[in-house]
Amino acid sequence: MSPIITQEKRTIYRLKIEGFLEGFRRNRLGVLGIILLLVYIIAGLFAPWLSPYDPQQSQLLADAYAMPGWMKIFPQFSDYPNTINVTANWVVQQKTDSMAVEWGKTVNMVFNTTDTSETAEMIMNATFNYPYSVPPQRFVVTYDLLIGNITNTWYYAEMVIVNQAGNSTRIWILPFTDATTEVSPIRDSSDAWLVKELGYSDPKAVNVARSHVFTAPVKGTYTLAFHLYFRPDEGTPFASATATLGNAQVWIPGLVHGILGTDFLGTDVFSQLIHGAKISLAIGLLAAGLETSIGILIGVISGYTGGLVDEALMRIVDILLCLPVLPLLLTLVFVFGKNVFYIVILIGVFGWQGLARTIRSQVLVLRESSFVESAVASGAGKYYIMIRHIVPNIFPIAISSLVLSVPAAILTEAGLSFLGFGDPRTPTWGKMLNQAFGFGAFEKLAWWVAIPPGLAITFLSLAFVFMGYAIDEIVNPRLRRRR
Amino acid sequence: MGLRGYLTKRAIVALVTLFVIATLNFMIFQVISPLDPTRTFVDPKFTKAMRDALLAQYGLLEPIQTRYIKYITNIFTWNFGISFATMTPVVNELAWRLPNTVLLLGTALIGTVLVGLPLGMMAASRRGKKLDMLTLAGGLFANGVPVFFIQLIFLLFFSYYMFIWFGFQFFPSRGMVSIPAPTDPIRYAADVLWHLAQPALSLIVGGFGGWALYIRNMMIDALTQDYITTARAKGLSERSVLYRHAFRGILPPIVTILALSIPGIVTGAVITEYIFTWPGIGSWYLAGLLGADFPVVQAVFFLYALLMLIANLVADLLYGVLDPRVRVGIRR
Repeated sequence: MSPIITQEKRTIYRLKIEGFLEGFRRNRLGVLGIILLLVYIIAGLFAPWLSPYDPQQSQLLADAYAMPGWMKIFPQFSDYPNTINVTANWVVQQKTDSMAVEWGKTVNMVFNTTDTSETAEMIMNATFNYPYSVPPQRFVVTYDLLIGNITNTWYYAEMVIVNQAGNSTRIWILPFTDATTEVSPIRDSSDAWLVKELGYSDPKAVNVARSHVFTAPVKGTYTLAFHLYFRPDEGTPFASATATLGNAQVWIPGLVHGILGTDFLGTDVFSQLIHGAKISLAIGLLAAGLETSIGILIGVISGYTGGLVDEALMRIVDILLCLPVLPLLLTLVFVFGKNVFYIVILIGVFGWQGLARTIRSQVLVLRESSFVESAVASGAGKYYIMIRHIVPNIFPIAISSLVLSVPAAILTEAGLSFLGFGDPRTPTWGKMLNQAFGFGAFEKLAWWVAIPPGLAITFLSLAFVFMGYAIDEIVNPRLRRRR
Repeated sequence: MGLRGYLTKRAIVALVTLFVIATLNFMIFQVISPLDPTRTFVDPKFTKAMRDALLAQYGLLEPIQTRYIKYITNIFTWNFGISFATMTPVVNELAWRLPNTVLLLGTALIGTVLVGLPLGMMAASRRGKKLDMLTLAGGLFANGVPVFFIQLIFLLFFSYYMFIWFGFQFFPSRGMVSIPAPTDPIRYAADVLWHLAQPALSLIVGGFGGWALYIRNMMIDALTQDYITTARAKGLSERSVLYRHAFRGILPPIVTILALSIPGIVTGAVITEYIFTWPGIGSWYLAGLLGADFPVVQAVFFLYALLMLIANLVADLLYGVLDPRVRVGIRR
C-alpha cells in the first residue's frame, strides 16, 4: 500500500476520534460517567493512602458493628463511646516495709524479709477515665506478670476493677502457690471463662463482668487494682521473691468508629470500601476485555470465513446461549476453587456469545462492501483484510459493547461474592455484603455495613452504563438524530 | 426451505444442544471435578466393603462409560437419580419445589411487565417531559444496581427496621409460610401471599426500570416510522396511533426480549431465593452445590438449560408468528 493512502487513512481516523471525543464531551451523561469513574480510579489507585486502615490486617478497631462516628451528632447517640485504649500507670497505694518497689508503666518489686512470721502485701492502682455516659459492650484487660526467685514463701495475686460506686469486680486471680508464675492474661468481659470464674453458672449471663463494672454513674474514673500478698513459710530464716508487672492495658472497644463504623470483626468499613474499588475495577475491566476480545475474534472469523467454520462456531454460540450463566459460574468456581483469577476468566469465557453474533452479522455486511472487494482485487490476504479493513470498522460496536459489559461483569462478580463464591482473600464489595448478610448485620440494624458496598457497586456500574449510553448515542447516528 | 424444514432443523439443533449440555453436565461433576462426591456422605471410618456397598447403591462404582450412557438415558427419561443428602429421588423434591419457583418468578415477571410496559409507552408518548426523564433515569439506574442489593434494602427496611419502629415485621424476612403453617386453606393462601410479597416486589422494583426504558426506546423508534405518519395523516386519534399501530409494530421484539429474559430471571433467582430462603429450585441448587449433592445440582442445571433452550426456540418462533416479514423470509 502506498504511504499516501495510509496518511489519508490516518487523517480520517484522527478526525473520527476527534469527532467522537467532541460528541462525548457534549454528552452530559457521558461526562457524568467519566467523573464517576475517575472517582473510583482515584479511590482504587490511592487506596493505601486514602483509607485509614489496612482492611486485611487491622481488626478489632472497635466493637463489632460500631456505628459511624458522625452519628454522634444525633442526640440519642451523642454519648456513645469511642474506643479507649489506655496503658496503666501504676501507683502504689499500700505496701509493707519488706517490699521495695519501683513503679510507673512497669512495676518492679523485690520482697525480702527475715521475719517470716509476718505476711507482706501490696496494693497498686492505675486509674483510667471513661468519659461517656453510655456503657460499652465489652472491655479487655491484658498485662504481663512474672513472679519469680521465690524462696520460702507462698503468695497469691489478683486483679480487680473498682468503679465509681466503689464496687469491685475481680477479673483475675492467682490461687496460693509457691511456684514461679509467668503469665500474660487476656481478661475479656465477653469471655465465657471469665463469666464462670465470677461465679455465674447461667449460660445467658454472657456480659456479666461488663454490667458489674459499668454501673451508674457510668461516666467517670475507674480504677484497676493489683493486689499481691505474700505469706512466708514460718520457721524459715528468710523469705524473698521478685515480681514484675508490665504492659498492662485496658481496651474498651467503642460503639462508634471512623467514617463508616465497623463490621462484625471490628474492621473499618470505610477502608474496606476504598480497597474494594481497585479489585472491582480490575475484575470488571479484565473480564469485559476478555469477553470483547473473544467476541471480536470469533465474530470476525466466523463472519469473514463463512462455510463450515462459520457453521461450527455459530453452533457453539447456540449452545453457549443455552447455558445458564450464573449457575454455571457458581458450579465452576466451586469446582476449580475460589480464586479471583479464575472468576475473571470464567466471566470472560462465558460472556462473549451475544457480541460474537452481532459482530458476525456486521462482518457479513462488510464482507460484501466495495472496499473489501478492492482489497481482495489488489491481492490482500485474508488475515490482512480481517485486521486492517474489517476490525477497524466494527470498532464502534466493540467499544460500546466493551463499556456495557463492564457493569455486567462487575454485577456478576458481586453476585458470586455475595453468595460466598468470591475469592476469600480479596476485599470485594460483594464479600462485604455477604458478610453483612451472613453475620447478623441486619439483626443489629447495621445499615453502614450493608448499604455502602451496595451503593459502591451501583455507582461504579452506573459510571459505565452512562458512558456506554453516551457512546451509543454517538456511534449510532439514528439514536443521535432522535435526541 | 419450507416452514416444516425450518422447524425440523431447529428441533435437531435443539436436541443436539441438549445432548451437549447433558454431556457437559456429566463431565463437570463426574470427570473434571476433583471433588470426590463420596467424601460428604461416606464416613471415613467405614470399611471398604461398606463404602463400596453404599457407592454401588448410587451406581458410582461402575466404569465411567457405563455411567455416562446411563446418565444420558436417565436424564432424557426424566430420571435424575437419588439425592445424596436426602436419599430420595431428586424428581420427588423437584416436584414440590418447582411450583414455588414458578409462583415467585411468575408473579415477578407479570408485575414487571405490567408496570414496565405502560410506563415505557407513556414515557415515549410524553417525550422530554417529566415522566419521560424519570423513566430514563430509573431505567439507567436499574441497569446499574444489583437486584440483590435492592432486595437487601427491602429486607433491612421492611423486616428489620419495621420491627424496631413498629413492633412487627411489615413483610416476613424468610420462608414461604409461617411456622407453624395455618391449617385453614384460605389463611394458608394469604400467608403464602404475605411471604411472597417481599421477594416478588423487590424483583419488580429491580426489573421494571430496564423494561420501561427498553420499551420507551423501541416506541420512540417506532413513532418515527412512516406508517405512523400515515396513521396520523388518516386522522386517527393519538391513542389509537400509539396503542394499535405503534404498539403492534414493536410487539415482536418485545415478545422476543420477554422470552429471552425469562432464563436470566430464573437463574438470577438463585440469589433471590437465597436471600429470602424461598424453597424453590434456585436455593436448592445452591444448597446442593455447597453440600456436594451432585444429583440435585445436575438436575437443576439441566432444567435451567432446557428452559433456556425452550425460551430461545419460542422467541424465534413467536417472532415469526408476530412479524409476517420473517415468515415470508422463511418460505422463500
